[in-house]
Amino acid sequence: MNIILKVILILILTPIVGCLIAGIDRVLTARLQHRVGPPLLQPLYDFLKLMSKENIVASKNQNTYILVYFMFVITSILMLFLQMDLLMIIFVYTIANVSLIIGGMSSGSPYAKIGSQREMMSMLSYEPVLIFFIIGMYMLTGSFNISGLNLASKPLIIYLPLIFISMLFIMSIKFKKSPFDFSTSHHAHQELVKGIFTEFSGPTMGLIELTHWFEYVFLLGLMFMFWKQNVVMGLIISIFTFLFVIVLDNITARLTWQWLFKVTWTIVIGLSIINILVIYFMKLTII
Amino acid sequence: MNIYVLLLIAVPIIFAVLFLVKNSKNYYKALSILLCLSGTVVSVLLTIQGTQKITISGSSFHVMEGAVLICEILILVFLYWVSIKYKRWTVLALTIVQTAITIYSELFMAKGENAVINVDKLSLIMLLIINIIGTLIVVFSDGYITKYEHHKGLKNKQKLYYSVICIFLAAMNGLVLSDSLNLVYFFWEITTLASFLLISYNKDEEAMNSGFRALFLNIIGGICFSVGIILFKNMMDVTTLSGIIDHRNTTALYTIPVFLLCIAGFAKSAQVPFHSWLLGAMVAPTPVSALLHSSTMVKAGVYLIVKLSPAYAGTKLGTMIAIYGALSFLICSAIAMSQRNAKKILAYSTIANLGLIISSAGMGTSIAVSAAMILIIFHAISKALLFLCAGEIEHTVGSRDIEDMSGLVHKAPMLAIITAFGIVSMILPPFGVLVTKWISIEVASQNPIIAILLVLGSAFTTIFWLKWISTILGYETDKREVHSKMDYTISIPLQILSVMILLTTIFITPIFNFFVSPEVTQLLGGENALSISKGKILSELGSFNEIMLFIIIIVTVGLYFLIKMFSSTAKVTNVYMCGENNTKDDKFSFRHSNGVSEKAVVSNLYLYETLNEKIIIKVGYVISIALIVLTLLGGLL
Repeated sequence: MNIILKVILILILTPIVGCLIAGIDRVLTARLQHRVGPPLLQPLYDFLKLMSKENIVASKNQNTYILVYFMFVITSILMLFLQMDLLMIIFVYTIANVSLIIGGMSSGSPYAKIGSQREMMSMLSYEPVLIFFIIGMYMLTGSFNISGLNLASKPLIIYLPLIFISMLFIMSIKFKKSPFDFSTSHHAHQELVKGIFTEFSGPTMGLIELTHWFEYVFLLGLMFMFWKQNVVMGLIISIFTFLFVIVLDNITARLTWQWLFKVTWTIVIGLSIINILVIYFMKLTII
Repeated sequence: MNIYVLLLIAVPIIFAVLFLVKNSKNYYKALSILLCLSGTVVSVLLTIQGTQKITISGSSFHVMEGAVLICEILILVFLYWVSIKYKRWTVLALTIVQTAITIYSELFMAKGENAVINVDKLSLIMLLIINIIGTLIVVFSDGYITKYEHHKGLKNKQKLYYSVICIFLAAMNGLVLSDSLNLVYFFWEITTLASFLLISYNKDEEAMNSGFRALFLNIIGGICFSVGIILFKNMMDVTTLSGIIDHRNTTALYTIPVFLLCIAGFAKSAQVPFHSWLLGAMVAPTPVSALLHSSTMVKAGVYLIVKLSPAYAGTKLGTMIAIYGALSFLICSAIAMSQRNAKKILAYSTIANLGLIISSAGMGTSIAVSAAMILIIFHAISKALLFLCAGEIEHTVGSRDIEDMSGLVHKAPMLAIITAFGIVSMILPPFGVLVTKWISIEVASQNPIIAILLVLGSAFTTIFWLKWISTILGYETDKREVHSKMDYTISIPLQILSVMILLTTIFITPIFNFFVSPEVTQLLGGENALSISKGKILSELGSFNEIMLFIIIIVTVGLYFLIKMFSSTAKVTNVYMCGENNTKDDKFSFRHSNGVSEKAVVSNLYLYETLNEKIIIKVGYVISIALIVLTLLGGLL
């Protein structure tokens, strides 16, 4: 009974928090650009309007992939809150992203195809870093389960500083914000229309919005792990990540996937590997 | 002598002769279906009977020994004849070396008094794979080979094809049943020969080159094997695989012959630097690729390495083997990213997964060796399915290039969905291949170097499969000629294999507890730190509940049908092309300023320059050969 109550609570609260995060994102971005910006609940109004629209598709089965994307992001976040094996959570999250990419290709639009290809390159760039983060967590706590962090005496961030920096970088990729918003973005419309989401409209686009709310909580939840023992410090880290991503978005221009691939596979992965090797050779632990 | 063991070796040989008798398509069809049924029945019956050890001694042993000797001489004669006829001097040189070693062991070594047959759980796993999946592939060949010969303009040589495949199946059965090293080696060499005959099936220049390269690299492996056997007999008086494990660490130079056997395994499993023969083998007809070069013969190499895992578990040799396997995994996953040819992608992916199996076996803990065995099972089924699909797609679309498979889901829906399912079973949970990758990365985390190699390789793995599956499920941008229906000898094996993937994933708990766990306990001793019960995979490192994922999948499917029922059908429109009016017959064109229509083609990203195949292979050769030499030298010290 306890688990079911927990699950229902998570399923209700997460989209609310996610909606607020999306709203704060837009208001903050606007203020940084000397605009007034939309009301805080604008994402909710957008969602409701989208759900009321007609369902138009470019290819018969394209919306199925979005359903799979939605379901598995929810699964990932449930697994995260139920403190399961973090490596498996990332692999389950991969199902969602794989489904989204296939959905983009299935519609047939050349813009969506380019968006999907670039999203694959993003995936190639961020996946190793995520797994190195998890391996770092394992080396410090002795378990891949998130529940292993509950026994730790020190926070992860103390011994994973380089990986923390790498993860900030990765968060910017996952939030699809500049300089990494080349697979889909509001600003790339002259190049890509809406990139990977081009041919999704109406209720499907609404579902994508909803999924994004869940996804924002999931991503910030991953950053929360860096100081899981103390709720306040964990929240501060999550909020810091969020603000970092928004500020970075507003001070950089969109770059190319080739640049991303080069920088991640040299510098970012290099930092993560150095962090892991230091932990291994100095036999650091936080239990 | 156990009747099932006898049947498993004798029946395919009988079928090999039967296939030579008549020359009609229906005859072949009937025979291959019979072979499939008999193989399935006998291997299942042997599984039910359980593990056992059988010793052949006395007169039956001497008869068998004589037969083996005659066959070995015939094989050598054939090798001499074929290497002289086609002027392949390197192969001739190796055959001379091989002959010298054979003469030495026949004349100057003490004779054995018996042969041992060991049916353990790992053998049972391999037998089920060979006799169920292998024979299904033979059934598939019926529909495939006629079209193949028609496309290539060849004369009808099908009876030779079927015959050699049956002999190959018999040899594989013998290989995994034998405990005596001499017998294992004998069957090993037969599989090398069968591989050569089947790769060079076309008899065109490319096929002959590939066949001889396979012969060259596998004979090198064979020489290492036979030298290892001689060393084992002379140094420790060991003549069986179980003997190797019992005599662990009795002599200082123990690791050398063990590693020599492992090198033979590396050569058979086409690890870097021995990989070029597998790439060349892709010129063979697709069922050959599916049978020999992904699910059966190359598994013989990793079978040997896993069986020897107690010999090096926890030692420096084990760590070197683990690093070596992880290296192949990374190198071949990286190269597969830049490939467009479907069979080459499958070949590189096979080598990569075999590298993962070797890496897991090298890590030596009970969790790691369990992961290696689980991966053997799941990879065999998925890869067989994918190779067969690739062959059928090639006949449907007329090309092996994955770009030409764009929109296959609209042209040949069942084929596309089965292929997509096969690819999903390689990259996503809850399917076995990903679960073993998860376990392997968790175990490898105790040694960061291996973990780093595996993580980087794993990133590439997801992407190159993703490119292929999204192209197949995408929308067509090209209209090529399409064949209408799939013959039942093609569609039924594909469907059976898909169902097998599903069933093995759902029933991973009993499969693990019946086959894998007891074998690991027997090999390594002590309790298995990995446990799977009621779909929950648990170890001291982490846990994963498969049932949860199955529930989510069922809920998703349910939601799909619910939404379909309660919402009106979506309106289908043209793709948005920036306001340009699409011309009616070609939907993806842009109109020029002077009114001409230009097609819009978007292909996958291949990273040809960054992940240059030639450069990565060169680096791979250097590092892998260095590793092998280092390990051999380390064993001497």
